Amino acid sequence: MPAIDTPEAVTREKTGVDAPWNVIVHNDPINLMSYVTLVFRNVLGFSKEKARKHMLEVHRLGRSIVWTGSREKAELYVQQLHAHLLLATLEHTPQS
Amino acid sequence: MTLSATDEGALALEEIPPFLFQLLKEVPDRGASDDPRVESRFYPAPGQDELLVEDWKSLIQPELYELFLSAREVVQTDLATASEESGTFAMEIPKNHMDSWLSALNQARLAIAGENQFEEKDMAEDLAPDPSDTRSLALFEISFFGFLQECLVKMQD
Repeated sequence: MPAIDTPEAVTREKTGVDAPWNVIVHNDPINLMSYVTLVFRNVLGFSKEKARKHMLEVHRLGRSIVWTGSREKAELYVQQLHAHLLLATLEHTPQS
Repeated sequence: MTLSATDEGALALEEIPPFLFQLLKEVPDRGASDDPRVESRFYPAPGQDELLVEDWKSLIQPELYELFLSAREVVQTDLATASEESGTFAMEIPKNHMDSWLSALNQARLAIAGENQFEEKDMAEDLAPDPSDTRSLALFEISFFGFLQECLVKMQD
């Protein structure tokens, strides 16, 4: 195992602590597909095509990971998605 | 009922039959439901972490409540501007109020669905609104409010 102060060891430790978070949108039988697509574009900044792709994923598979990154940003996105009455959660990504 | 876009980008609703206008007037109240099933849908948990859920309830939920209330108030104000002529109603949804209408209509749809425990299969039912049948009327309201949402989404596209 490398010594603790080598770049490789520091990077590995940092990854463990700052493992990214996923923002997941879950299916809801009431929300309109067109509305969900619009929310993805306005809140997440998706293109029309990307928004539609994720909307269809939610619709067909029950959920879609729409963003991955820092916990703080993930919480903000979930809050904004909740503000538009979408079902959204944040989850720590699995550690490899 | 006719719908059209004005030069200022507003959505104009004209010749609204009294029955449909009455349903529109109920939009703000529908979203104000105190049914626990509706509350749990309006304020879902953000994840599994207990601390996160606790913080969300105390910090985020009140903010969302105010946001939803504010949207309903905008809709209430717009509905109050409606005019009546020859037994039908007319009103406009200004461009800068469309987000509020989208929110309030969605709140109403989710509240109606929550109170009636509608599932995906119920949404696919053919509609022949029967005002004497509560369930039929509720499904029709969800559909009608959804139609208006679609119009507003199209205008923002």
